[in-house]
Amino acid sequence: MSTLLSLSGIFGSIDKQAAVIVLIGYMIVFLALVILYLVFRYLMPWLFKIKLYRRAAKEGRALDDSEKQVLTGEVNAAIATALYLYYDEIHDYESNIITIRKVSRSYSPWNSKLYNMRNLER
Amino acid sequence: MKRFITVITILAILSFAWTAFVKPGKEAPRQKTARTEFVHSAKTVETQEPGGALKGLKKFWEFSGFRNVSKGHLIMITIGLFFIFLAIRYEYEPLLLIPIGTGIIIGNIPFYQDGDINLQLGIYQSGSVLNYLYFGVLKGVYPPLIFLGLGAMTDFSSLLSNPRLMILGAAAQIGIFLTFLGALILGFAPPEAGAIGIIGGADGPTAIFLSSRLANGVNMLADGTTVKNLIGPIAIAAYSYMALVPVMQPPIIKLLTSKRERKMRMKPPRAVSKLEKILFPIIGLLLTAFISPSSLPLLGMLFFGNILKESGVTKRLAETARTSMVDIVTILLGLTVGASTQADVFLTPDSLLIFLLGAISFMVATAGGLLFAKFMNVFLKGDNKINPMVGAAGVSAVPDSARVVQTEGLKADPTNHLLMHAMTPNVSGVIGSAVAAGILLSFLG
Repeated sequence: MSTLLSLSGIFGSIDKQAAVIVLIGYMIVFLALVILYLVFRYLMPWLFKIKLYRRAAKEGRALDDSEKQVLTGEVNAAIATALYLYYDEIHDYESNIITIRKVSRSYSPWNSKLYNMRNLER
Repeated sequence: MKRFITVITILAILSFAWTAFVKPGKEAPRQKTARTEFVHSAKTVETQEPGGALKGLKKFWEFSGFRNVSKGHLIMITIGLFFIFLAIRYEYEPLLLIPIGTGIIIGNIPFYQDGDINLQLGIYQSGSVLNYLYFGVLKGVYPPLIFLGLGAMTDFSSLLSNPRLMILGAAAQIGIFLTFLGALILGFAPPEAGAIGIIGGADGPTAIFLSSRLANGVNMLADGTTVKNLIGPIAIAAYSYMALVPVMQPPIIKLLTSKRERKMRMKPPRAVSKLEKILFPIIGLLLTAFISPSSLPLLGMLFFGNILKESGVTKRLAETARTSMVDIVTILLGLTVGASTQADVFLTPDSLLIFLLGAISFMVATAGGLLFAKFMNVFLKGDNKINPMVGAAGVSAVPDSARVVQTEGLKADPTNHLLMHAMTPNVSGVIGSAVAAGILLSFLG
């Protein structure tokens, strides 16, 4: 009981205005982010869908199922990697230029042919 | 765990030293003994005889740091060194803690101080270089610039791919409002309590912005008294807790989640189109600014930075905003905030209370986000369920709290990557805390 009394004493120091600030403030923070959520969760996809339907109607065809699908980042990354690897391995075009690359070495007695041959006495 | 114990032990030692040396309600002593001699010697400096070398040496001694040092200075210098230690040894937000730690040392180098004499050295002495730089903190210039850089470096695609997680960023702001109540209970005036509460947002620039408007030592209260200048303690508390996110959050996460919950996998985020990315900052700016116009300096700059990034036609501006500009402002902000903790202003019982409230608010915010994620799971089914740890990232310490969630997720399951999911509440937490700051400003400013 005494604990309850002391608690009521502590919370008694918070006036009505503070309680209003806390309640309204927290609600507004929620409201701001919930509105953003609703816009990007429902409104944006809906707008994109309308855009897709209009484009399909303009082209005189029904909307394809594949167009309605939403790909995850992982699927996109897998497709991109596969395409990259595929194109990287293709060898259908060669330059057909054959050159002999001349490698020049700086002179040293250690790689000199003259010194490395046995000099036989004649 | 070893890190946690080390940090807590050092903090406990510093707090003990603080309470032991600084008596409640009494500021650290100022040196007044040399004043009369200084005035006298300044007047008679031309008439000094050559034999006054000893007197000159004595004067030099009186103006040196060794003569003017107090326990408060030494405690603050130790705190500065502790910050630098944390930054180098454990790499806790080194980009912030090194400038702040060095700033604390610079701001607490003892020098001759008296009410009548202005040596133009200290951060609170008009005309000093540090005082000019401190203007940016005092008038809230630096925080919007930091937000501009933040906007230019933030990718909101994770948020757009799963907007449901945005609500967790709002839930975690409970820390701000509960701390506001806590500060009122502890006897702070409403504007001061509002400024202290924002520490729970775990966002340094927002904390500085709001404290510079509400608890700046200039504004008058309804009863005719002046509000306390709490910018220094609030900024240091906010940045300290931001840096200590990797220490403070894991125990709360482990306490409130089971191992099974920590292992939960989430649906991979979908790909986001360029148009969505461009529209987000525009719609976000319009919505949040209309709801809370007081947060315009922060959110306006955040979304402006993001438009620079996502428009794709202002690459140079975005590049400058997220690199050179934000680096310069971080250096200036960190240094001046650190230097503003001059012992005689900072070492007060109020600062200790602010640190205590800050810690509580940070824990409440983490727990708030986490528990709200669990609450959301009650209504969600199948693979739409949320790993509750993601809620802990609702405190807007970007990207540290998201990184903590990723690390804890990997500890539970080495193949479960939660970083991208955690980034959503993390960045929405930034928006949420800025909105909360705007609301507090409009009510209490």
